[in-house]
Amino acid sequence: MATIAVPLGAQAEQQEAETLRRPALTDYLRWSVDHKIIGVQYGVAAFIFFMVGGAMAMLIRLELWTPDLDVMVSGAAYNSLFTIHGTIMIFLFIIPMWAAFGNFVVPLQLGAKDMAFPWLNAFAFWLIPPAAVVVLLGYFVSPAEAGWTSYPPLSTLFSGDGQTLWALGAHLLGISSIMGSINFIVTIFNMRPPEMTIWRMPLLCWAVLATSIIAVMATPFLAGALTLLLLDRVAGTTFFDAAGGGDVLLWQNIFWFYSHPAVYIMVLPGMGVLSEVLSVHSRKPVFGYRMVGLSSMGIAFVGFTVWAHHMFTSLQPELRIPFMITTMIIAVPTGIKMFSWLGTIWGGKIRFTSAMLFALGFLSLFVIGGISGVMLAALPFDIHVHDTYFVVSHFHFVLFGGSVFAVYAALYHWFPKVTGRMMNERLGRIHFLFTYFGFLFTFFPMHVVGMLGMPRRVAVYVEAFQPWNQLISLAAFVLGFSSLIVIYNVIKSYYHGPIAGANPWRALTLEWQTTSPPPTMNFDDDPIPFEDPYGYGTEASAAYLDAVDEAFSGAAPAKGGGH
Amino acid sequence: MAELTANQLHTAAHDDHGHMSEEEHNNNMKLGVWLYLASEIVIFSIMIVGYIIFRINEKDIVAQAHEELGVALVTANTFVLLASSFFMVMGLRAMQQGNRAGMLRWIGLTALGGIVFLGGQYIEYSELAHLGIVLGFDTASEWSTFGMRFYAPTFFHGAHVFVGVLWALEVMRRGAKGRYDNNPIGIEMFGLYWHFVDVVWIMLFTLIYLV
Repeated sequence: MATIAVPLGAQAEQQEAETLRRPALTDYLRWSVDHKIIGVQYGVAAFIFFMVGGAMAMLIRLELWTPDLDVMVSGAAYNSLFTIHGTIMIFLFIIPMWAAFGNFVVPLQLGAKDMAFPWLNAFAFWLIPPAAVVVLLGYFVSPAEAGWTSYPPLSTLFSGDGQTLWALGAHLLGISSIMGSINFIVTIFNMRPPEMTIWRMPLLCWAVLATSIIAVMATPFLAGALTLLLLDRVAGTTFFDAAGGGDVLLWQNIFWFYSHPAVYIMVLPGMGVLSEVLSVHSRKPVFGYRMVGLSSMGIAFVGFTVWAHHMFTSLQPELRIPFMITTMIIAVPTGIKMFSWLGTIWGGKIRFTSAMLFALGFLSLFVIGGISGVMLAALPFDIHVHDTYFVVSHFHFVLFGGSVFAVYAALYHWFPKVTGRMMNERLGRIHFLFTYFGFLFTFFPMHVVGMLGMPRRVAVYVEAFQPWNQLISLAAFVLGFSSLIVIYNVIKSYYHGPIAGANPWRALTLEWQTTSPPPTMNFDDDPIPFEDPYGYGTEASAAYLDAVDEAFSGAAPAKGGGH
Repeated sequence: MAELTANQLHTAAHDDHGHMSEEEHNNNMKLGVWLYLASEIVIFSIMIVGYIIFRINEKDIVAQAHEELGVALVTANTFVLLASSFFMVMGLRAMQQGNRAGMLRWIGLTALGGIVFLGGQYIEYSELAHLGIVLGFDTASEWSTFGMRFYAPTFFHGAHVFVGVLWALEVMRRGAKGRYDNNPIGIEMFGLYWHFVDVVWIMLFTLIYLV
């Protein structure tokens, strides 16, 4: 069909795209079993949901500009707004977003041609759009008002039919997540090249492995809880209704037995990204590689023993202390990672690329979120700030300051591999500044209003908190604006960015030892992993990288130097 | 057109597992099914633990339920399900010996066992419904709290048997076309699932009907 006349500009564009071996944009709208296409599908879909959830956050901040109810028609409308905000951000943005990077990068890092189950992979992705429709439909029918945690009796007796749709949608997303995770585990265990022992596996793969183990073992708890919730709502059972011989706390226990491990589903891949980015961009081996890999597993394991710290105010008092202790213990593997990251960049030849800036942003913000986490683990303090903005601040520090910053770091780091073109670094730095300071001034003051006693999940508050809330709202609008910069950067760079070449960062992991973007089956020849995925700074690694540049020469100007 | 062809080639290349050896493919499939079953265990365990807690707290209702339920029908049903697991193993063995017709017979019997089990469950549910044991909560009924804890796990299990029957029929359809002549992994995977459903039933039978 090449005979159809194409405008010359478009033809040139097409030719260039062919030299880059990029899939056509329409390929991303079709069913495809190629993990690279699926990764981008996950990423774009998740980012769209991020924007939708972000727009809702803007509305929330607009409502909180004044102490009175003015933007929303009722308190109930506000309830449903923060419910859908949380649901979108967690189930539709951050979990699928990590599936995006996992899908694109993990098989490449393993030197594999695809995931273990390509068809299942595509199926898991295509469950997300219908699930999103169901959840969002619920919001417009008669919205769920019980928060993303959906505690009964709020979610059984007081929420509208939207809650039923919410539960159905969450069910579908859970199934999608389980299928995706099974795929990751099998891929990581079975599809490594013979030279790559588990102790030579890149740390992102370790993190995705730990994440997937958590997802396979924890998400079914959500599925079970949602099944019972649906029965309560639809079939008249009373599993969660004390008046009918049920138990309200049963939901909290099952839900958090899923959802606490799930917070590590949301952040562990980000920690894996950080180990990659910090090591590559500071040209140094990861400090304590084995301990970092093991600490991911440690977090996965200990993560199952801390769930009731979400229930300090509803739990039997004698169980509080044990859960306080386990919660403190889980800070240890996280601390190991922190220590490793600092040790990695210490004395390194740091290149302040956008990816590196976001990784450093993660470091500085996540440590605050980690510390407020340990504060919340301390029972006396928790009871004081329970259900206040201090808690809101804490989980945004770990989920936004942690996960989202890692998402951005990963975006700037792997965008050249995905599209064959570099992102605009200048715009990247501007984006970083807006995001970092927008974030800091949005969420740090929340610690203060929280300790002063402002409760979360209310649209109306005491007038004394207004100056704080106005500061927070202003900063939140800046934060919201910052995401427009990255959208512009992505679109602009996709078409006009400089050609990246195979290995623009001179990284040692296998995803860089092929063209950008990689060919259909990922590698034209079987790649040979370097003996140490992070062995930067040795002559052997420099020779290896030079050989890679040579093999893909013409497309790979060796920039940035360093080895 | 060119791009479409590329996409199709792409899909074909990835779909055929052309990138994997048969052994690799089989290993992946088995590990995948085991992980899937691990997640199933979790869902069942929620309902099972829910029942155990109820059993401990409400001894009287459960004792009364045992009298009403009777074990004759359900024992026969359990026997049928266990037998179907045996048929399943025989089907796999037949295929491994290259006996396609034998495989089809045995897997057919497996599916039949599942259907008989579901029929038995249907009869039991109707009897219980006549006694007033229903799923929803009803303040007027002395069974109000028992019904949901009984029906949720047993129906959830029944749904798995139903899926298993469909899977068995699919295995037969593919098997008849010779899909498993060289590599019976598909039958083996179905077998793992079917045995799992069986083991769950043994737990439910013991917990709900016997103790």
